[in-house]
Amino acid sequence: MKFISIAVKDFKELIRDRRGLFFILLFPIFFMMIFGFAFGGMGDNNTPHNIAVVNLDQGTINSTGSNVNFGNNLTAELQDQNYPQNNDVKLFNVTTTTDSNAKDLLRTRTVDAELVIPANFSDSVQSLINNTIQSSTGQTSSASTSTNKITSTLTISGDTSYIGFGVAQGTLIGFLSQYQQGVVTAITGAQPVQYINTSVQSVAGTTSFTEFDFLAPGMMVFAILLLATTVAAILTREVESGTLLRLKLSKMRSFDLLFGGLIPWSLVAGAQVVILLVVAIILGLKWQGSVYSILLAIFVGIIAGIASISLAMIIASFAKNDRQAANLGTLIVVPTTFLTGSFFPLPAEYINIFGHSFQIYGILPWTHTLTALRSVLVYGSGWSVVSSDVIISAVLTLILFVIGVFLFSKTRLGAES
Amino acid sequence: MDFMIEAKDLTKRYGDLMAVDGLNIGIKKGEVFGFLGPNGAGKTTSIKMMVGLLRPTSGKVFINGTDVKKIEKGTIGICPQELMLWENLTCKESLNLMADMYEVPKKIRDLRVKKLLSDLFLVEKADTIVSKLSGGMKRRLNLALSVVHEPEVVVLDEPSEGLDPQSRRVLWNYIRALRDEEGKTVILTTHIMDEADQLSDRIAIIDHGKLIRLDTPESLKKEIGEGDVVDLKLSDTSRNQDLINELANEKDVISVVEVKGRINIRALNAVAKLPMMMQTVERLDVQVEDISVRQNTLEDVFIDLTGTGLRE
Repeated sequence: MKFISIAVKDFKELIRDRRGLFFILLFPIFFMMIFGFAFGGMGDNNTPHNIAVVNLDQGTINSTGSNVNFGNNLTAELQDQNYPQNNDVKLFNVTTTTDSNAKDLLRTRTVDAELVIPANFSDSVQSLINNTIQSSTGQTSSASTSTNKITSTLTISGDTSYIGFGVAQGTLIGFLSQYQQGVVTAITGAQPVQYINTSVQSVAGTTSFTEFDFLAPGMMVFAILLLATTVAAILTREVESGTLLRLKLSKMRSFDLLFGGLIPWSLVAGAQVVILLVVAIILGLKWQGSVYSILLAIFVGIIAGIASISLAMIIASFAKNDRQAANLGTLIVVPTTFLTGSFFPLPAEYINIFGHSFQIYGILPWTHTLTALRSVLVYGSGWSVVSSDVIISAVLTLILFVIGVFLFSKTRLGAES
Repeated sequence: MDFMIEAKDLTKRYGDLMAVDGLNIGIKKGEVFGFLGPNGAGKTTSIKMMVGLLRPTSGKVFINGTDVKKIEKGTIGICPQELMLWENLTCKESLNLMADMYEVPKKIRDLRVKKLLSDLFLVEKADTIVSKLSGGMKRRLNLALSVVHEPEVVVLDEPSEGLDPQSRRVLWNYIRALRDEEGKTVILTTHIMDEADQLSDRIAIIDHGKLIRLDTPESLKKEIGEGDVVDLKLSDTSRNQDLINELANEKDVISVVEVKGRINIRALNAVAKLPMMMQTVERLDVQVEDISVRQNTLEDVFIDLTGTGLRE
């Protein structure tokens, strides 16, 4: 098992190179701190959230026999709502539209979130009112229709990797809760029973988010991507110092060298996720997870780490010395980090392949890492929610690894020509 | 004759530059084979092709009768000119790693590593990080890493470059032991003529990519003239060429060359020729600052065959 000997060698070299270790582990922490201090308090500012409202409510007949449509009422309330601390600024910019148009608006990020009011929304509100009256006055059921417990679900949809969506959905949930209470209190003067539910697609979080909550996973992706620079420099140093030539002459195969190298470095990627999560929590990250979330995040981080090492192999195939590898690495890693949306959200750009529409940044495995890490750490999502992103990330990583192994073996492990 | 290594019409061309030009060499099993040549003569290129690290433009190399491209990895051990070490591993860890890479079983590996550390006087530094070793220790470890898998052929590319005399002796003894006790075939490239003279069974002198001579050190020294070298230094070195021109015309002088500002005059029974040389000196009205007579060396052979011009 020569790859184990290589892994042990790489691990020892990694641990003993204090300066390199300092750079790998502490540099991203500094970044996290800078972003933490810069963006930790933001997100509660007075900017209207752009939302698309799809009102499918068919209305209902209230206790006095009149037609009422609480969907229209809710839409009007959303349009009229101002920031409590600044009455001149609207809380939402509301666009009433159809579901398909709303999806288009989401894709182009014209709106941050879509709220779908279901057809039975008025029924459920009326049911809520009737039942609240009964429970507060102690009346027994005299009319079966009035005591039927009708529930409805408001659906909030959006791009979970998008900061604007996270902030908008948090605000919407808070508003809807207030609306439910407001309607009942206004009509009955009693406290409402929970009859209206909200469902956030791919989102389990209900707290108010700041921008830092979305940037923290981005910093993790940045740190993992930075590994590519370090590993590329180390691989090139192995070429430059001639030790690769020694290994090349031995019975070691490319697989042993590259797979052996993957083990300690992907562990570093996992460790970076944990360290940066701790730092982010100290700096105020409102994370939703549990121990399971951490384990899932480490797993996601390890896959991203392998992608970074694969990128490092590609860089090391072309760099002539470690300085060139570090420079070339930085030149590739920083723009790639931007393209994954780690620093700030990018406008959605789609390409059409075989009739299917794909997000252009989705070609990078780290884009999916970012989405998965945000879902797991910020929203507390589980495997079922992030599985597709993790699988796509793993497949893209495998492709990148194959390219990396091919190029490195061809340029560095063959006989010179 | 059965050769351990045989190069046939080996050629390497880089654009217009012919680095190695039709090299034909046979290296016998169990001999120390010296490879000499000025810088850029094509030594390293030849060796790289002979061990399969560099693809030749044309020609073939056979190791023990098998094409070098098909030999089992580990047949050849290379001790490169440059230090090729993992700075953050200890001596023992480095040796264990290379043994593992050659699939040496653990029990045998431990014994070999112990012996190598002992033979090359590195026992006390076994657990020291390489970056903390002295230059001499690093050179010895560089060699140990190349032979930990006990290869049949050991290539040593300027192994004692920059070593102090003590470390050089340790290295020389080890190279002799490789041949005499373990029966290894050793290829040695060096600029230290004394080293090539003392260690090599046969020497190939290569220049401009071509083999100039291949023989034992003794035969080479005889070939360019037995006898002595008169080594003299003039007070005014600008007159060196005048004296060289005059002495070159004397029938008893075999050769006369300028080496590092001094004049080397090679002649049979040089002591008897001294009066003739001094008369020439007086005739030219030049002053001798220093004069000595010594035996012909391999360096004289080397200079005689490759000239004194710089190649860099």
